[in-house]
Amino acid sequence: MRGTSVFLLSASVAVFAASAPACAAWQPQKPIEFVATAGPGGGTDNMARAVQNIITKYKLTDQPVVVVNKGGGSGAEGYVYGKASAGDPYKVIFGTSNAWQQPLVSKVAFNYTDLTPIAAMAQDEFLLWVKQDAPYKTAGDYLKAAASGEFKMGGAQSKDTDEVLTRMIEKTGNVKLTYIPFKSGAEAAVQLAGGHLDSHVNNPSESLGQWRGSTQRPLCVFSPKRLPAGPKITATEGWSDIPTCTEQGLDIKQYEQPRTVWLPGKVTPEQAAYYVDLMKKVQATPEWKDYIEKSSQIDTFLTGADFDKFIKEDLERVRQVASEQGWLVK
Amino acid sequence: MDNVSELLHGFTIAVTVPHLALMAVGVLLGILVGVLPGLGAPNGVSLLLPLTFGMQPVSAIILLSSMYWGALFGGSVTSILFNIPGEPSSVATTFDGYPMARDGRPTTALATAFGSAAFGALVGVILITFLASWVAQVALAFGPAEYFAVYFLAFASFVGMGGAAPIKTVVALAIGFAIAAIGIDTVSGSVRLTMGVDELVKGVNFVVAVMGLFGIGELLVAVEEEFHARAVSSKIEWREVFRAIGRLPRHGVALLRSAAIGCWMGITPGGPTAASFMSYGIARRFSRRGRYFGTGEVEGIISPETADHAAGTSALLPMLALGIPGSATAAVMMGGLMIWGLNPGPMLFVDQKDFVWGLIASMYVGNIVAVVLVLLTVPVFAALMRIPFVVIAPLIVIICVVGAYSVSNSYLDVVMMLGFGVVGYLFKKLFYPLAPLVLAIVIGDKAEDAFRQSMLMSKGSLSIFFANRLVTCLVVSGIALLLLPLVLQLARPFRKSTAGETSAQEKVII
Amino acid sequence: MISRRALELATAILTGSFGVAVAVQSLDNGIGWSSEGVESGTFPFLTGLIIVAGSLYNLVRGAVPAASLASVPVAITSIELRRLAGLFVPAAIFVAAIPLLGMYVASAAYVFAVLAIPKHQSILRSGVTAAATALALYVVFERMFQVSLPHGALAAALGL
Repeated sequence: MRGTSVFLLSASVAVFAASAPACAAWQPQKPIEFVATAGPGGGTDNMARAVQNIITKYKLTDQPVVVVNKGGGSGAEGYVYGKASAGDPYKVIFGTSNAWQQPLVSKVAFNYTDLTPIAAMAQDEFLLWVKQDAPYKTAGDYLKAAASGEFKMGGAQSKDTDEVLTRMIEKTGNVKLTYIPFKSGAEAAVQLAGGHLDSHVNNPSESLGQWRGSTQRPLCVFSPKRLPAGPKITATEGWSDIPTCTEQGLDIKQYEQPRTVWLPGKVTPEQAAYYVDLMKKVQATPEWKDYIEKSSQIDTFLTGADFDKFIKEDLERVRQVASEQGWLVK
Repeated sequence: MDNVSELLHGFTIAVTVPHLALMAVGVLLGILVGVLPGLGAPNGVSLLLPLTFGMQPVSAIILLSSMYWGALFGGSVTSILFNIPGEPSSVATTFDGYPMARDGRPTTALATAFGSAAFGALVGVILITFLASWVAQVALAFGPAEYFAVYFLAFASFVGMGGAAPIKTVVALAIGFAIAAIGIDTVSGSVRLTMGVDELVKGVNFVVAVMGLFGIGELLVAVEEEFHARAVSSKIEWREVFRAIGRLPRHGVALLRSAAIGCWMGITPGGPTAASFMSYGIARRFSRRGRYFGTGEVEGIISPETADHAAGTSALLPMLALGIPGSATAAVMMGGLMIWGLNPGPMLFVDQKDFVWGLIASMYVGNIVAVVLVLLTVPVFAALMRIPFVVIAPLIVIICVVGAYSVSNSYLDVVMMLGFGVVGYLFKKLFYPLAPLVLAIVIGDKAEDAFRQSMLMSKGSLSIFFANRLVTCLVVSGIALLLLPLVLQLARPFRKSTAGETSAQEKVII
Repeated sequence: MISRRALELATAILTGSFGVAVAVQSLDNGIGWSSEGVESGTFPFLTGLIIVAGSLYNLVRGAVPAASLASVPVAITSIELRRLAGLFVPAAIFVAAIPLLGMYVASAAYVFAVLAIPKHQSILRSGVTAAATALALYVVFERMFQVSLPHGALAAALGL
C-alpha cells in the first residue's frame, strides 16, 4: 500500500512537474469532496458538478471527486461545514459572495475569514426585469412610474444580493420599492409572469426561458459595459442588445455575483496553490467555455491579492447598504 | 386535435428499442433509489446527469424521467413494509399500507398501491397532453396569497378529524410548525431557533424527522408488543397481485376523486405531499368505512397513492412550461435541460416540439414499463416480511441511520433521528397523532413564508385573502372544511363523556 | 414498570419545555410588525405559546387521573421495558460508535452483536449477515451513488 502510493505520488509529480512546477509540492492522496452550498439544481451546484465533470474527464487528478450538497440556511450549512473541517485539504467549498455577505446580516456561525480563498471563477450579472406588457421601455420610465411608491420588487432570499441591489436602486433612483423575498430567482420570475410583482433583478440564466417565451423582458444590465455578444435569445434581441443601466439614467455602474471556491481554514499554502492551479486547468478547457456560455455567465478568474481586493470592495459596498438599512448583526 | 397528432408523433420517438431499454434501466435504478431511504430520485438523477451529456436531449430526459417514475413507485415500498416513508409524499401511504402489511397482506397492500399509483399517473399525463397550455395559465394566477390559501386548504382538509384528543393534536401540530421554523428564515434572512447548535442553521430535514418518528418509533412499539414472525404464507402470491389489481375498479369513486385532487394540487403549486395528505383526509371523511381508516383499509391506500402520483406527474408541467421546478428532482432535471442547451419556459413547446412530445409520450410508456416492472418485484419485496423480526430489526435501524446520515452527510442528523425515534414511540404510546406533526414539518414553513409575503404585498391587510375570486374560493372552502366537523359535532346531542373520548382515543390514531 | 400517568406527565413536561425553549428563542428574532412585515419571531413565538398551553392542559389531565387513565394504569410493564431496552440500547451504542469506528465497521459489529449475543443465530450465520450488511452498504452507497459514509477516526488513524 505504502509503496504504491509513493510510486503514484512520484509518478504524478513527474507528470505535473513539467506543466506546473508550482504545485509539485502537494498532491491529494484521498478522494476529494466538493461541497456545493446550494441544493441540487441550483447555480452553485451546477458549477460544482461542471468542474467535477471536467476534472474527471481530463483526469486532472488521480483521486475521485464527489459532490456533496449542503445548501441549508441559504448556504450557511456548507460554510459552517467548511469551518468545522479546518486543516482538511480534501474539502473544496463552492459558494458565491454570500460567504462574506451573509455573516454581515445574519447570526451565522462562520465568517469568510474562517476559510481559505482559492478563486472566483465565474460572474453572474444582474438585470432589471419587467413584465412583457409593462408600459415602460427604459429604466428611466420605470423609475418615473415607481415614484408612486406602489412597486413590488421580487428577489431570491432576504438581505442577500437581490435585496442589496434593490436598496441601491432605491437610493440611486430616489424611489421606494416593496421588496418581497422568495426562495429562488426562478420563483420570483414566475411571480412576475403572473403579474403579482412589478419587477425583479434576476441573473440571466434565471429568466432566460421567460424572456424567450415573451412573459418578461430585461430593461437594463447592471454592468459597466454591455454583455458580450452571443446568439439571439428572442427573434430580434440577444444579451448584447440590452443597454447598461447607467446609459438609461440608473447610475449603478457595477453589480455582480461571483461564484467562489474555498478551502477550509488552516491549510498549507502548498495545498491552496494546488487547487488554484487545478481550477486554472479546469478553466482552460472547452467544456468550461461551454458551461459559461450555456449558463449565461461571464468568465473570470480572480485569485490571490486580486480576489482579496474584490472581497474587500464588495464587502464595503454591502456594509454601507446594510448599515443604512439597519441590517448589521449586533 | 393538434395535440393528438403531436402525441402520436411523440410515440414514434418514444417507442423505439433503445428508448424502451433506457426506460427499463431508468425505472430499475429509480426503484432502487426510491426503496433506499435517504437516497432519493435527486441522488439518482444527479448521478446519471453526467452520463447523459453525450445523448440526445430526448433520450436523456426519457432516462431521467423513467428513473423518476421508478423512484416514485419505490418510495411506497418501505412505507408499506416497514413504516418508513422515504419521501414526504409517501407518508400518507403508511397510515393504512403498513397496518395491512403487518396483518399479513403485504402483497395486497403493495399491489393496490402500485395499481392506484399507475392510475393517478395516467390521469396526470392525460391532463398534461390535452390541457398543457391552459394549465400553464392557471399556475400563473398563483401569487403568495393563493399559495397560502392552498396550504391552508391542505391543513384544513386533514387536521381536526383524527380520533386523537384535540389538545394533543394541537400540540403535535404546533411542534411540527416550530420544527419547520428552525434554520434560516426566507423572508427575513435571520437565523431562528437553533438552540445554540450552529449546525442547525440548515434546519431539520424531513427525512431525519420521519425516519425517527415512524421508522424507529414503530420498531420500538413493535418490539414491545413482541410480535415476531408474522403469519405470511411462504409461497409467492402472483395471483394475489392480479386479484388486488382486479379489485381496484370497485373503488372507482375514490380513484377518480383522488386523481382529481392530485391533479389540482399538482397544477396549483401545492405539490404531491399536500395532495396525498389532503386526499387521505377527504377520503376518510367521506368514505362509508371512514372510521376504519388506519387499520389497513384499501381506500386508505388508494387515496394517497393516486393523488401523490397524479400530482407528481402533473407537477412536471409547470417545470416545462414555466421553468419552476415542482420538486428537488425536477430541479435537477431542469439543471440538466439547461446543460443540454434547452431552456424550460413557454417557448419549449414551440421550439422543441420533438423533445416535449417525446417526453410526454414517454410518460405514458414509461409509466406502463414502470408499473409492470414494479409489480414483478412485489413478491420479492413481500418476501422481506418473512425475515424474522430479530434479524430485520437491526437492519431497519441501520437503514434509518444511513438514511438520516446521507441526507446531508451529518452525524448530528443521526443523533436527532434517534431522538425523534423516542418521541415517536412516546407519542404513539400516548395517542398523540403523528400525521399533523409531519404535515406541519413539511409545509409549515412554506405556509408561513406565503403568509408573510402576502402581508408584505398588502402592507399588513388581511383583505388580500379575499382580493379576487380564486383566493376567496380557496380560503372559504378551507374554513368550511375546518368548521364542518365542529358543526356536525354540535348538531349531535351533547354526549361527549370522558368514557366516550377514551374509546375514540384508544382506537386508531392517525 | 412505568405507569401511564408517569408517562403522560413526562411527555407533557418534555413538550412543554420544548415550547418554552421555542418561545424564549423567538424573542431574539423580534415579534410583531416592522418595516419588513411580520417579524421572523412572531410565528415561532405563537407556536411556542400554544405548545406550552397545550402541554399544561395535558399535564393537568395526566396528573388528575380521569376514568380513561384509570382503566389503563400501566403503560409499560417491566418485561416490555426490558424488550425496549434490548432494542434501543444496542442501537444507541451503535450510533455512538460511528464517529470512532465508521459506518461500515460499526454496523457490522452491531448486526453481529445483536444476533450472536442473545443467541438468535449461530456465530457463523451472524458473522455472514454482518459482513454482508457492511458490504452491501459499501457497494450501494460508496460505489454506486458516491455517497461517502463516515469512515471513522480509527480508519483515519490507521491511514486508510
